[in-house]
Amino acid sequence: MTELHSHDHVTCQEVVELVTDYFEGALPADQADLFEQHINFCEGCDWYVDEMRTTVAAVGRVKEEDVPDEMRERLLTAFRDWKRK
Amino acid sequence: MIAYKFLRPDGTSAFTGFRWQLPNGGPGPWLDARVEPCRSGIHACRLPDLPFWVGRTLWEIELDGEIVEQRSKVAASRGRLLRRIEAWDDELRDEYTRMCADRAHELVNSVSPPLEAWDAVVEPSLPEGPALLGFVAARIAEEIFGSEAYHAERAQQVAWLSERLGLGA
Amino acid sequence: MAPVQEDHQSIAAAAEEAELLVRLRAGDERAFESLVEAYHGTMLAVARNYVKTRDVAEEVVQEAWLGVLKGLDRFEGRSSLKTWVLKILVNTALTRGGREARSVPFSSLAPAGEDEPAVEPERFRPPGEAFAGHWNGYPGDWSSRPEEGLLGRETIDVAKAAIETLPDAQRTVIAMRDVAGCSAEEVCDTLDVSEGNQRVLLHRARSHVRAALERHLDD
Repeated sequence: MTELHSHDHVTCQEVVELVTDYFEGALPADQADLFEQHINFCEGCDWYVDEMRTTVAAVGRVKEEDVPDEMRERLLTAFRDWKRK
Repeated sequence: MIAYKFLRPDGTSAFTGFRWQLPNGGPGPWLDARVEPCRSGIHACRLPDLPFWVGRTLWEIELDGEIVEQRSKVAASRGRLLRRIEAWDDELRDEYTRMCADRAHELVNSVSPPLEAWDAVVEPSLPEGPALLGFVAARIAEEIFGSEAYHAERAQQVAWLSERLGLGA
Repeated sequence: MAPVQEDHQSIAAAAEEAELLVRLRAGDERAFESLVEAYHGTMLAVARNYVKTRDVAEEVVQEAWLGVLKGLDRFEGRSSLKTWVLKILVNTALTRGGREARSVPFSSLAPAGEDEPAVEPERFRPPGEAFAGHWNGYPGDWSSRPEEGLLGRETIDVAKAAIETLPDAQRTVIAMRDVAGCSAEEVCDTLDVSEGNQRVLLHRARSHVRAALERHLDD
């Protein structure tokens, strides 16, 4: 877990390191609180957190690999062999 | 328990984007949620929390059910908006922003030599509004006098807000 | 305000899996085919964590399925089907052995930010200065862009290309979590890493991809 430099506030540099833990719900309550306080007043970090959300959304739209035809054929053959046993 | 909540002008929450049904003539409908501090639940501020969450519009909210008090906010399993605090308008926001900026300048000049590098941030921050300037003033106080001064500055901001908004006993 | 969906989801998933197993054991080809399709992306991502080339990874995936078929009659369902398949995959990758397989030095992870900052330090005010650690200049406001541009073909291709350039462990974790939609638990179980380490890898991976998107979008 990240050690913050202050108990009272976080810096933008800390925010960009905490953002993944924040999304995962893994920040301790105090840190999550300071994180949210910060993005409430810091437009730049509000934008950055939004950029990270967009990044996750974009990655989510990356199409997963297709099964190559050859592999599909070989595996189906293997399945039929296995079936017959 | 009575508490406060800042929302965007369109009635949505700044963190979740959740759209509240706004009170119209009478309290809004009760909302139920599962409480998981910072993750889910109805979140609101107590009076001393106000400066940390400053937003565009301010509402009085009634909380009920399971209420979990955290460092700078509360989370509840039930809540309903009671009324808008009309006094918190753009004009008062600007006044508060100016007040914090003036405090920042005052603090910067209260030491010798004055903290010019810290002062340089103040005026350019104005367009970003009250939440930022509130932080700037408190942060400068902390820089000069330490952590207690940060909280004292915030408490002073609370006093200013309570008085101008007619809140609290 | 977050709906309590997790329990419903895992119950639904378990029921779906049970049905799938019945169909597989009954020799339903379509069931097998759709399972292979459903897991392919994840399995490839995991395999690439352990072997050098993509071609070898594909071979490992294929071999793993043969192992799955061999053991299918004995599978008791104590773990989820997916977990079991992925374990066979990892063992296959490791057993394939020799020069091609290597274990990932997860233990050599340094805490986040120490050697791989999410954003270059120059973009923040330097230590010792007023408001040290705050942005020198703000990053872009992407919300002001039309969504079709943000999540359009071009942007997604940039994201995909960025993922390909990631170090193996980061690529595997982001592929499993964000492309394939695996849970954190599935990633930790499969790769045998702690939740904390998994998060560090995810964080670094996402930060790299964000930076690539920024370079593309802010041009």
